[in-house]
Amino acid sequence: MSTNSNVNYAEEKGGYYKVLIGLLVLTTITFIQPSMFLTDATFGVQMLIGLIKALIILFYYMHLKGETLIGWTVMFAVFIVVFFFSIVIFDVQNFQYSDESYISSEATSGGSPTAGHHTTGSDVVSEHTSDVSHEATHSEH
Amino acid sequence: MSDHAYVPEIATSRDGVEHEVQGWQGDFYGGKLGFWLFMLTEVLMFGAMFMVLTYYFTLHHNDFIDASASLNRVLGGFNTVVLLISALTMGLGLLKMRSGDVKGAKLMIWATILLAFVFLGVKAIEWSLEYQHGVFLGLDALQSGNAHSKPFGQILFFGMYFTMTGLHGFHIIIGIGLMLWLLKRINTGKVTTDHHILYWNIALYWDLVHLIWVFVFPYFYMIGCDAGGYHMPDIGSLFGGHSNEH
Repeated sequence: MSTNSNVNYAEEKGGYYKVLIGLLVLTTITFIQPSMFLTDATFGVQMLIGLIKALIILFYYMHLKGETLIGWTVMFAVFIVVFFFSIVIFDVQNFQYSDESYISSEATSGGSPTAGHHTTGSDVVSEHTSDVSHEATHSEH
Repeated sequence: MSDHAYVPEIATSRDGVEHEVQGWQGDFYGGKLGFWLFMLTEVLMFGAMFMVLTYYFTLHHNDFIDASASLNRVLGGFNTVVLLISALTMGLGLLKMRSGDVKGAKLMIWATILLAFVFLGVKAIEWSLEYQHGVFLGLDALQSGNAHSKPFGQILFFGMYFTMTGLHGFHIIIGIGLMLWLLKRINTGKVTTDHHILYWNIALYWDLVHLIWVFVFPYFYMIGCDAGGYHMPDIGSLFGGHSNEH
């Protein structure tokens, strides 16, 4: 489906302004959400707003609406990203090597701001199992 | 062919009938599809970076929230609106070009370039302020093992912050270069109302740059809003944001 055709500017510019207003409203919500609503789920809400903005940009500014082949190609690529994203997030949420890892909070915080990743594994003595320590981390929020 | 004018190639079939060979120059859909494939590689690149970011965020939740709270939301938010308007000017410019208003299209491209420079300028101010506060790649605060070191999770956060916003800024600079090239092609008649695939694809590129910022902004600037209560940014935060005592 070629879009290589002349268009009427006056007729079509309205759509662009409507999208702009929609995106500005969503951007405003982005700013006020942390102090107005769902304050316990800021990260999730922010990402959801971002997703809605992204879909609007994709469909209208990037003309994906009505594109079958390119649309499915994009869907497939995004699916690949989300698929591996999910695997990694599931894996990190069940992180089994907190005591030994160079990058876990158990190995790097240690109560001192200077306790960085240079801390050797042998210096880190945790009294918790990984599961217990993760529960402790999550309970802080 | 000194002027590089397009001359159609003619193929003659066995029965003597001449046919114009369809060159790639007229393949609008092919050009668009090819550019989408390129953009998907960009999605995979930034997707991998977001994956790393999320990985670290999961491991160092508190440090990420604290570090995010120290970023300057006013400047970041201002840049969000700047990019949003620049996406509009780019889209309207393409619309003007397709409707035959070449002069109007060029004006819109210049407007987009101007907004891109505004974005880079604000980003430069923001990074300068962070440098003055001792938070920059290579400074003690982001090196582990010294008296000024930030917590390790914050070092990871700021490392990703400078890397991803820097890479995004690099895409803005490339975009400016592409738009200047586009103006040159329009001026020399290589991009016209009927042959505007280059304009179309550069507009797509600019939308992609905007799209990436749609996720970069909340991930770095907004996740820290729930750290000990969020206050709407005041004028003072223009000059360095909230202090982050550690």
